[in-house]
Amino acid sequence: MTWVTRVAAALLRGLARFWPDDRRGWLHALRAEAEEVPAGWHRLAWLAGGVQFTLREAALGRRLGYPLAFAAAVAGTAWSAWSGPAGDSAIVINRVDVITIAVILAGLPWAIRRARGPAARGRVARLVRAGGYAAILILVLVKAAVERVADAPPNNSQATPRAWIGEMVFLAVMAGYAALILACTSRRSPAVPVTVTIGTLTGVAIGFAAYALGPWGFPLRFTGPWPVHLYDAAIALGVLLGLCAPVAAGFAAARRSGGGQGAMAGLCTGAAAALMVAALSTATIALLPYDGGLRNWAAGHIGQWTPFVGQVTPVVGPRLGYVAGNSAFAAGYLLVLLLGPLLACGFGAWAGRVARHPDPSRARPGGAA
Amino acid sequence: MAHRPEFSAQTLAVLAELCATPSQWRHGYGIARDTGLKSGTLYPVLIRLADRGLVEACWEDEQPTGRPRRHLYRLTPEGLATATAALAQASPARPEPASTGARGARRVASGTAP
Repeated sequence: MTWVTRVAAALLRGLARFWPDDRRGWLHALRAEAEEVPAGWHRLAWLAGGVQFTLREAALGRRLGYPLAFAAAVAGTAWSAWSGPAGDSAIVINRVDVITIAVILAGLPWAIRRARGPAARGRVARLVRAGGYAAILILVLVKAAVERVADAPPNNSQATPRAWIGEMVFLAVMAGYAALILACTSRRSPAVPVTVTIGTLTGVAIGFAAYALGPWGFPLRFTGPWPVHLYDAAIALGVLLGLCAPVAAGFAAARRSGGGQGAMAGLCTGAAAALMVAALSTATIALLPYDGGLRNWAAGHIGQWTPFVGQVTPVVGPRLGYVAGNSAFAAGYLLVLLLGPLLACGFGAWAGRVARHPDPSRARPGGAA
Repeated sequence: MAHRPEFSAQTLAVLAELCATPSQWRHGYGIARDTGLKSGTLYPVLIRLADRGLVEACWEDEQPTGRPRRHLYRLTPEGLATATAALAQASPARPEPASTGARGARRVASGTAP
């Protein structure tokens, strides 16, 4: 009994670190009081009740819940990406991906906190952070699923320097996205909360539209055959929406919070849309690896879009779909992830300059969401 | 729509216990023993009452021998007024505040947390 009581007391002491500093006194009070409780079951029950309430409050207070959720998500991604023969170059790349991304996502909040302050208060900041991190992890997961077959022997018997350079660019881009998400949702953010909200919501909507309609149009292609004009109209509509969205978001943000917010709204729109498109499209490729429609479409289009990467490698057998998907990811989506936010930021900045802010007093510096 | 009471039965029990001797500092185990509440229930109630300014807390001034200093609690003037009103409102369903424990508190209509 004594050692069980000691363990409970030690557990209570250890859990105190997950509580806010200004509240730890209550846990010290509970532990001090335990000395007054008769030894044995009563004292153990007292301490057990304290452990239970400490865990509950810590989880509700997000001090414990978010790290646990992040650890579980990273563990799930690692478990999925890790599987495969160790001698396979694609598996080696996947493992490096997962480890590096986990380190980046875990370490960046600390760095951004020093530069931009802690996370902004409010639901918007929490949702954007959680959603952004989830999207990055999903992208890493589905990319690993695609590459597991696409880069496996005999396609790539060993990782080429170009493949490693591509991975490094991918990891750097993901680190940039994570930094952007954290910076925009910190207390000293250059974007006001309403700008983050406008940009993120517009970006998610446009990313889904671009995926569903065009220029990607996966669902349309998989549910076809549709009349050719429908494909053309969908692609035109998708492109039009993609161009107009950052302008509209920048205009709306500038009208509400000042011209400088136009660029930030455009940046948020572009980043959210690019992340959404990349995750959804790569997930589709991963889930439908041997789809003939995807294979033919990728073989016919991807090479044309990215001529410097070269045409889709013809591979015998069912791997072709994966190879096409991998090329699509490596060439197309990495470009989208790189250029999407920059172009959208430019469009948003232009819209912000054009927009007339009705009330300058409503403009305020960034901060709490 | 039925009126929801401001305090839960457990909170009313703690308020009644503190209200019985409002000028006296009480410690956690004493309140728990007299109300019948477990530590996992009592401390959240105390924290929320303190957050609302209804309860004030302090540590014992002097270091006693053989045991750590204890955290002490009592009602603030606002807490006393609020507790008196809340207990009066709940009085048809509950006995004298001073003798009320969790068993007595359970007879109070269940309500929301503070």
